[in-house]
Parts: sequence; structure tokens; C-alpha cells
Amino acid sequence: MQDWKDKYASYIDKQQSSPPEPKPASGSRLTGELKTDLPELQARLGENGDLVVRDFLLFGAYPAVMLFFSSLVNMEQVREHVLKPLMAPPSGQPEILENAGGMIHYIWSTAVQVTQGTTTADLSALPQAAVKGDLILLIDGIPEALRMEMRQIEMRGVEQPQTEQVIRGPREGYVEKLENNLSLLRYRLQSTDFRIEISPLGARTQSRVALCYIDSVTDSSLVAEVMRRISLIHTDGILDAGYIEQFIEDQPLSPFPQVQSTERPDKTVAALLEGRVAILVDGSPFALIVPALFNQFFQTVDDYTERFIMGSLIRIIRLIALACSLFFPALYVSVISYNPELLPTDFAVAISGGRAGVPFPAVLEVLIMEVSMEVLREATIRLPQMIGGALSIVGVLVIGQAAVGAGLASPITVVIVALTTIGSFATPAYNAAIALRMLRFPLILLAGMFGLYGVMTGTILILNHLLYLESFGVPYMSPYIPGKWRDLKDTLVRVPLWWMRRRPSFLHARDTDRLPRSVPAAEIDQILRQGDETDE
Amino acid sequence: MNNPRQITSLRAAAVISSTIIGVGILSFPRYMTEAGNSSAPLVAFCGVLFSFISYWLLASLCQRFPQETLFVFSRRLIGRPLAAIFTVVIMLLFIVLTGLTVRQFGDVATTVLYKKTPIEATIFLMLLISLLSSRRNVVKFSYIHFFYLPLIVGSILVTILLSLKNVEMLNLQPVLMAPGLQFWKGTREATYLFQSSFVIVLLIPFMEKPGHAVRAGAWAIFLSGAIYVLIVIASVGIFGAEETKLLIYPTLEMARSAAFGEGFLERLDAIFIIIWVISVYTTIYTTYYISAYLLHKLLRFRDQRMASTVLLPVMFILAMLPSNVFESYQWALHLGNAGMMLMFGYPLLLWTVYLLRRHKKKVTS
Repeated sequence: MQDWKDKYASYIDKQQSSPPEPKPASGSRLTGELKTDLPELQARLGENGDLVVRDFLLFGAYPAVMLFFSSLVNMEQVREHVLKPLMAPPSGQPEILENAGGMIHYIWSTAVQVTQGTTTADLSALPQAAVKGDLILLIDGIPEALRMEMRQIEMRGVEQPQTEQVIRGPREGYVEKLENNLSLLRYRLQSTDFRIEISPLGARTQSRVALCYIDSVTDSSLVAEVMRRISLIHTDGILDAGYIEQFIEDQPLSPFPQVQSTERPDKTVAALLEGRVAILVDGSPFALIVPALFNQFFQTVDDYTERFIMGSLIRIIRLIALACSLFFPALYVSVISYNPELLPTDFAVAISGGRAGVPFPAVLEVLIMEVSMEVLREATIRLPQMIGGALSIVGVLVIGQAAVGAGLASPITVVIVALTTIGSFATPAYNAAIALRMLRFPLILLAGMFGLYGVMTGTILILNHLLYLESFGVPYMSPYIPGKWRDLKDTLVRVPLWWMRRRPSFLHARDTDRLPRSVPAAEIDQILRQGDETDE
Repeated sequence: MNNPRQITSLRAAAVISSTIIGVGILSFPRYMTEAGNSSAPLVAFCGVLFSFISYWLLASLCQRFPQETLFVFSRRLIGRPLAAIFTVVIMLLFIVLTGLTVRQFGDVATTVLYKKTPIEATIFLMLLISLLSSRRNVVKFSYIHFFYLPLIVGSILVTILLSLKNVEMLNLQPVLMAPGLQFWKGTREATYLFQSSFVIVLLIPFMEKPGHAVRAGAWAIFLSGAIYVLIVIASVGIFGAEETKLLIYPTLEMARSAAFGEGFLERLDAIFIIIWVISVYTTIYTTYYISAYLLHKLLRFRDQRMASTVLLPVMFILAMLPSNVFESYQWALHLGNAGMMLMFGYPLLLWTVYLLRRHKKKVTS
């Protein structure tokens, strides 16, 4: 092992002495001479600490070299299933090893025990294969190399997703490895129509990006549009699905997310069944779902797994929480500083009594409290869990009781700020909650300047922005706007599943029906009715 | 997905009616009672009928040219220069209309709601949100109207229903009085509110079924007409004709008298004002949009953004010109007169030319 100092010196030497050598012409072929092929291949791969070049005598007689990245493959398996049988003397007829074809055939058919492998004579394809995790075997005298798939990456197990917890529903979440994630999807969607298109993306990372859709359901123009947008991405690295999201969304300047990201395979499958498209990236435990509409950001899996009355109720509560997190402080400021006559007299007196010792105008008071709440929230997220819990208790005490005692804020302001914060936590999608939290501040300022009229103006601006937004050609406020009555079955309320026989029309699905129309409309209704009759 | 004909008849109707319900709603009962005393509802109703006739003239003409707006096909009918002159006049009309509407809004907002806020700020803010939303295309324009309409209509209806329990039937009698000159003048004033139904001209080329333009307008005018008539009935019924004449904003007083539950929401008027801000916004948005659209077509800007930005200072200055509330109402009435002549006369002229040409064509062929 070289010392870091030597390493640095030699690196600097190399940089200064030779200009970066031109890339070797692609398409070069193997010569079969180990002496020329191996240095060529090593030059293309560069110097790497984890590159293993192991020369040995194949079947005890033929010189050969094995080449792989120790970080990508399981060394134990290589030793057990590749190196060991290859070094052992051949059993049976040694004469077929004389010609190249016989040798390769013998290796594949008798010696090594790998599930996937190919033979190639193309030298330029080998480096890419090696960085992917293949093992490469070069044999002296044979102008062909053997590629064996030995990739194995350490991976955490499938766990309950942290960001989207459910009370009733599957506990599985995505992990970082693409294959695992795709298998979670395939496991749920055992349909021959389920399509997965995989291609590398990112000039340097070559991260594999998978585009998933159901062929017979999803609108083909939607799939084409998503592919077009992905194909236009030119960047050197895709480290997470979030990178792709930023490249393909319609309005990057909008505070509202236009692509949904989820950690849950069941949610992804539900979206695919509606006719949406999902994008997964190797190395990211999140799937992107497009098109994403405003509606989607306050729906959860629980809405569908629980009975429909509960689902609807909880959804409405969530919407109220969302409205609270956006409007409460602004309305409070405008009412107490401009229109106190709106409040019942006793209440107005109580509020002004509480505010008696506070030196700031209401706007400033609310802003101070809101900002400190945001700081507290951010600090709690960033800290390790053990400290975070303690901090939040201290913070709440400071912000709540002590601020009132010190005359910094009035008790009612604390109540309002607390309601706002709780409301913002009740929005299931984190990024949508941030959007609303962000818009709360301009609304407070407008309320401080113009009262209710300012709040109204701000609201109109926000609503107009929402009405203007589109996600992959679908209006963001669908299905409220452009009013399709049929689609309203799954919005504010969630009607029983057997009523939702059609897919959302705004997705222009090829197959509009979830069930064939020939299936009787409501068997369940008949069953219910029969139950009634037998009771009588 | 990229089909330009996306506006359904329902949405076209929504655009028209949310445009019609606007700033005038607060003082409307006063004009009507001044014209017809206790027969005010009848005055309003006749106004609605007349507006519909004027609308029908325009919309049925435009239906015959489903691919183009009025400003395009008028060139073919009466020649380029004459059509251009009329387009300019219509544009000026809508620019002044926007300015005066926003001024009336500012007057109400500062006298009733925000006594400390300068009227300039109120007006500027309203113009600014109209400007920001005028930069969108016609389809988005219809989305916005369609979204707000249920809010506007719903809350106004609730207010009216709540206040109906205070109505004295005696105040509404006699229902019919001899229709004199005053009566017809009142009717004419009522039609001013409906002038913005002109917006159908912009919508027709984007409608799914351009043939339904008249039907959509009929729905819209009768929906908003019904609301106006109901408001007149309610406020005359509550206050009586003589009292209504004395109130500057009878509808607001009506909302104040409507209590909801005892002791909790005693003052419904603030909520009413909130909704009223939206309804005024939709009205100003439409007139602003028409002005910006016309300017953009006249000067052949690439898109509407530039045109709408240019208009903002003009409208702001226009809005600040009247020196007091009385003057701004006076101006609004004059503008209404001028507008009615134009909105009635221009389609009539186009119709005549259209019929003559078609006749000629038939004769020659």
C-alpha cells in the first residue's frame, strides 16, 4: 500500500507530466494476448483501490486473469463459485480445452456456477461491465472475455417507511436498491401489462432510472411526455429521485410540489392502477409519481384501507388542518388589528386583556412566535433523536409559558401559533406542508398591512396560482377544476370503493374502467338489500 | 390534450355570471327604488330582460363565426378601418370601466371597512392581482371564474336567505306602479351591470360547442339576474322603499341585519365583504382581461403580458380621477349610457351588414 503522501506526489506528477491522454478509441477488440489486453483494460479502468486483478493458472495449466471491483462483489462467492472450480484440474476429457470454443463451453457448462454471464470480444464494453459489478475473466490465447454477474451490494432490509406511517396498511417501504424496489412492485402487480423501462442516466453516475407504467391503462402520450422530459436531462449525477423531480416538473418556481414522491410500494401501485407513471432511481428509496395534483397531497393510504366513512371524515379533518396552517395566523392578525368588532364582545375583551402587556403590534408578535416555532421545528429534525426530544420539550416550554410570562406574547397568540403548527404537521405530504408553511408568512404580512382585504388578496393570488398550475398537462386543481362531477367521488369525501368503477378521467387512461362494464354495477348493493329482506 | 376548444358551456356561463355579479351589488337596490319605489323588483327584472336581449343580439351573431372573435370577423363585415375604430372604442370603454369599477370598490372599502388604509393602496392592490392573473390564457381565465362562482353565489344566497326572515310583506306593496319615464330609466341603469357579458366574444373561439353560447349566456344572465332581483326584494322588504333610498349601500345594511345564531357571529357583514371582494375581483378581472386582450391584438404584441402591464398605470390614474364618491357614481352612469349605446348599436350594425351581405350572396348565386 502506498502512503497518502506518495500517492499525492505521484498524482501531481502525472497531472503535470502528461496532458490528459485522449480517450482510447472505442470499439477496439480483444487480441487474445494477455500481455496487451490486460494493460489496455487497466488503463481504461484507471487506478482504483478496490480493483482486484488476480492472475492464476486456469485448470492448473493456462494463464488467466480475473478482474473485478471488491466493493461491488461478494469475495466469498467469487472464491467459492468461480476461483475454486477454475483452479481445480479439469475432470474428464482435457482435450476439448485445446481450442477456444471448447474452453469457453467447458467453463460455462461445467466449471463456474454463476447465474448470468456472457462472452464478449469487445474490449471497450468491459470497463463499463466491471464498474457495474461484473467479474471479468481474460484467458491467454483466447480473444474473448467472460463476464460474470457477481454484483452484490449490502442493503438494509425492507422496513416501515419513516415519512409515511399508516395505521392500517402494509408496513413495507422502498430500500435503496432498484431491484428490490421493482420486486416490491412486481409482487403487488402481477400483471403482464406492467412495464418497466430501465436506462442509465447521469453522465458520471450512470444511475439506473426505471420508468414504470401499466401498458393497457396509462395514456401513451403521458408515458411519451415523461420519457421526453427524462431524455432531456443532461447532468453528471443523479443521486436521488429528487434530482429527477427538479428536472421534470412543470413549474420549478412554484412553491407547490408537482411531482409526488412516496416511499410506499402500495401507494405507487395504486397510482399506477389509476393510470399514472412512476419513476424509480437506483440508490433512492423514493418513487416519483406523475402527474401529481393538489388533491393527492392530503390523501393517505389509510383513507383507502379504512372504511369509507372514516376515510372521508379523516380526509376532511386533514383539509381543515391544512387550511388552519395557512390562514389562522393571518386571520387572527387582521381581525384583532383591523376588525375586532367581528368577535363576540366578551372574547374581544379577553383578547385585548391578554395583549395588554405585549409591546409589539399583533403582526410582529405573531411573526416572532411563528419564526421561533419554525426554528424549533427545524432544530428538532436535525438533532439526533435523543437530544431532539429533550429540545422540543424545552422549546415548547420557552415558547409557550415563558414567552407569555415575560410579556413577549399573549396567551391567545400562543394558542394560534400552536394550532398552526399542529395543522401543518397534519398534512401528510411533507413538501406540500412546507409550501403552505412558506405561504403563511406573506399572508401574515398582508394581513398586517391591509387586514381582511389583504388576506383576501393573498388568498386570491394563491388560488389563482393553483388554478394556473399544471402537472404533465393535467390542471393541478383537477378534478374540482375543470369540473368533472364523476371524478369528485374521490376528493374531499371518499365514496365506497365499489362506486369508483372508473379511473380518474383527467388521466385519459386507455382503459377507463376499473372493472369491465359487464360486471353488474353493484353486487354489494344487492347483497345489502337481500340482507334487508331476510330481516323482514 | 392540446385541443384549444376546452371551455364547456357550463364554464362559459360561469364566466359570464361571476363577471356580472360585482361591485354594483351593494348599491343596486338604491337605484332600483329611486326608479320605481316599491315596484323596484320589477324594474330590476325588466332590466334583466333587456340585458338578455342585448346579449342575444351579440352572442347569436358571434355564433355564426365560431372560429373567430368579434374583432376578427367584424373586419370582413364592415371593413378594416371601421372595425379598427370600433375595436379601439370598445377597448377604451373597457379600460374606463375597469378604472371606475375599481374606484367604486375602493370607495366602499375605505368608507366601510378600512378607514385608515389609503384608497390608493386598496385600488392598487386590486389592480395588481388582476394584472397578475390577466397574463394567463383564456382557458385558465375560465377556470378561475368557474372556481369562484359557487363561492360567490352560495354565500350571497345564504345572506339573502338569512335576511329574508326580517322581510315585511307590506313594504313590497304595491308591486306594480304605473311605469313612467323614471321606471324605464331605472331599467336602463339595471342593464349597465350586465354589460360585461360582452366577454362571451372572447370565449366563443375556445368553446367546446360554440353553438351553445346563447344558451350559456341565458343561464348566466338569469342566474345573476335572479340574485340581483332577490337582493332588491330583500332590501326593499326589510327597509321599505323610502329608507332604501337613503342608504348608500343597502345590501351591506341588509347583511348587517342578518344575524346568524345568537351571540356568536353577530356581524355577518364582514364575511359578506370578504365574498364581495372576490366577486369584485372577478368582475374587474374580466374587464381588465378584455382591455388587455384588445390592446394586445391592436398593437400586435407577442402575448398578453406586455399589454396587461402597460394598462396598469393607465387604469390606476383613471381610478384616481374622480374626486369623490358622488362624482365616481356620476361618471359610472355616463359610462354606462355610452356603453349601452355601443353594446346595443354595434352588434345591430354588424347584424344588418351580415344580413345584407348574405342576401346579396343569395341573389347573386
